[in-house]
Amino acid sequence: MTDFSDTLALSASGMKAQSTRLRHVSENIANADTPGFHRKTVNFEEVLSQGARTGQVQTGPVQLDRSAPEQIFDPSHPLADESGHYDGSNVDLVVEIADAREAQRSYEANLKMFDQARQMSSSLLQLLRR
Amino acid sequence: MLNKIEIFNMADAMARHAATRQSAVAQNIANADTPGYKARDVASFSDTYQNQTSDGLRSTRPGHFLPGESAYSVPLQIRQDPGTESPNGNTVSLEQEMLTATDVKRQHDKALTVYSSSLNILRTAIGR
Repeated sequence: MTDFSDTLALSASGMKAQSTRLRHVSENIANADTPGFHRKTVNFEEVLSQGARTGQVQTGPVQLDRSAPEQIFDPSHPLADESGHYDGSNVDLVVEIADAREAQRSYEANLKMFDQARQMSSSLLQLLRR
Repeated sequence: MLNKIEIFNMADAMARHAATRQSAVAQNIANADTPGYKARDVASFSDTYQNQTSDGLRSTRPGHFLPGESAYSVPLQIRQDPGTESPNGNTVSLEQEMLTATDVKRQHDKALTVYSSSLNILRTAIGR
């Protein structure tokens, strides 16, 4: 049974990490038009418990994408400099949507494994019924 | 008591193997986007089960003491044929994992079916 509780914990950690990732993606998309916004990214890393690898996954610290922001030409904008440009955000919607899709796909895979481990342990318990 | 009957022992080991493998698959899928993660798997049931039964001491008389029946276990290892590696060094393929997961489910179901039908035979034998 420990194998199954391990499996459930692993899948749950995967789902949690993927939903954190999706949360940051939606934050980026929401701020796609905010002047000066830098897109946020998170890394995935293995969870260590007292120095030992557990196989579970967690998201690392939030990092800012340092790439240059888009220069938008709009002389009437209050933030525009002498040349009529202002700093937009460095969010690329195509990249964000692709990231969101990948997060969803991985989340579903984790959910499927969770469900399967649950089914397997309940069919094990069925043996005791009679 | 039931461990003395070989078929229960084997079904038990097979279900354990499936559970361990399920844990490996879940770990791979949880780490499907972790940079540098290498996919894990366990050796096949037929290989490991044969090894474990032939390694133990043999008793030539029923009165001999044996080191207690050790529960079947199989270690996780890095997958031998991981397929393509993505640019961040991760070797997990979700499709491959889905395939393995289906295998695991079938193997577990098979083991439990063998166990429960053997149990039925045993019940019939004692007339209940």
